[in-house]
Amino acid sequence: MSDRALQDRLIRALADAPFRDSPAWRHAGVADPDRLERFARFLARHFYFERVHHFFRYSRALARITGRSPEAVIASPAFEALFPTLVLGSRPSADAVARLVVRHLSGGVEEVPYLADLLRYEAGMMVVESGPRVWRDTKPGVRSSGQVHPAAVEGTMLLDLEYDLPVVLPDLLKPWSEVPPCPRRPTKLLVARSRHGRVSVARTTVVIDTIMELADGRKTIEDLAVHAGLRPAELEATLQGLVELGAVRFRTGS
Amino acid sequence: MTPLMVGAFYNPHLAAPLLAAPAGAIDHLAMADPPHPQDPLWPRIKNRYTLLLHDYLGQLSEPLDERSIERARSLAALYETPWVAEHFQCLHTEDGSYQLNYVFPPLYTEEFLDRFVANAKALQARLDQPLVMENIPGFFDVSGGASQMPEPVWLRRFFDATGTGFLLDLPHVWLEAHYAGKSPAIFLEAFPLDRVVEIHVAGVAEDRDLQGPWIAPTAPSDEMLELLAFAASRCPEARAVTFDAFSPSLTADVLMEGVTRIRGAL
Repeated sequence: MSDRALQDRLIRALADAPFRDSPAWRHAGVADPDRLERFARFLARHFYFERVHHFFRYSRALARITGRSPEAVIASPAFEALFPTLVLGSRPSADAVARLVVRHLSGGVEEVPYLADLLRYEAGMMVVESGPRVWRDTKPGVRSSGQVHPAAVEGTMLLDLEYDLPVVLPDLLKPWSEVPPCPRRPTKLLVARSRHGRVSVARTTVVIDTIMELADGRKTIEDLAVHAGLRPAELEATLQGLVELGAVRFRTGS
Repeated sequence: MTPLMVGAFYNPHLAAPLLAAPAGAIDHLAMADPPHPQDPLWPRIKNRYTLLLHDYLGQLSEPLDERSIERARSLAALYETPWVAEHFQCLHTEDGSYQLNYVFPPLYTEEFLDRFVANAKALQARLDQPLVMENIPGFFDVSGGASQMPEPVWLRRFFDATGTGFLLDLPHVWLEAHYAGKSPAIFLEAFPLDRVVEIHVAGVAEDRDLQGPWIAPTAPSDEMLELLAFAASRCPEARAVTFDAFSPSLTADVLMEGVTRIRGAL
């Protein structure tokens, strides 16, 4: 085994609790298991503290009303109970931690009627951010000149909200004395992640909804245009925007 | 020896007190993240302080891609930084499947030495400023690896091969010595101190998971400051000492106290 491969095994052991508990790792005798476990838990707490702090920042701004800070979850017994299952950066782990935070922050705050929507939004951002990512490009992204088949990227999320959250989010981070109001009107948002891990949010349109529903990696742009009742050129501009957000990628057809 | 600059990290939530600090209290600010587009005080911070690029640019166990190099160049130009810092760390697997997101050093072996030397040279060739590299602590020993060597020896060979500068993170040395049951000062003397350009100093506090000390957003202890004075006397090329505290829980009082105590120890 190369040293780089050994380093990868160490990184996996620190990141992946079930692997750490497997016979394959336990019998390898690469590092003191007690020390490694302590360091792994330290890293896990650090990893999710950073994410909860970042993605639940709007809820933190409401802490003087709700009386609850999102980060408190990371020091809780409920979080520690997740230690044996956590795989840093994985979608199930992000989902499990986000659920704990939402449970901690939810409920009974009349002054913030849009709190449930806000928590869904923040948890959605955290979950979409998770999953393997491209850390370095090894070759330039060249779009094939052949026929391409748009495919919705796994993990991209569509959020149906009761309140128009994008209106209120900037106000929550400014100084305020009364809880900033949020217009109550149905709002649909798309949350996507680029290959390099940048999370973006966009309001959806009928065209976007249609693309996200139909882009299965088998239909061509022309097929989608027929289904959506649009001209291919019209569709292509929207598709390009979705590719840049990370919501759609192009597969090259045969 | 040129006078040492004494500074801190730019914590955006402390921008107002940093701007209110008396002239000469803080010489520089290290930048761990790019400025937020909506940070209203950033232009004044940039105008007032010398800024040091200390972001995550990429792990040098692999070559940085063009996108990362362009990002490094662009941040270096934005900050007008006198040098660019990166870390001796290897945090994600080569295929990107697993990541740690926080301090983890490479194995100190010939293979990793070759990798870091080649990739640091390639990065240095694309930068307009000198590259400095920061030591990262290990919390446990690893069995295996083709040719492990002591960290100070590995670092010496790296700096000799690349000509890059050393960002000496003193608490990292202190922690390694603590967990290995060694004297921090004796352990420190083995490092290539003649290559040090910048020194990081921080406070430590008990961590529940590690069941021992780790870096914390608190002012450095008397013991750490004694180690700093000792280190500074052995680092003839050092140009700056930075209070290494970057946390949303850091207060303005602690930041100012940390910088003041560091200045007093030098």
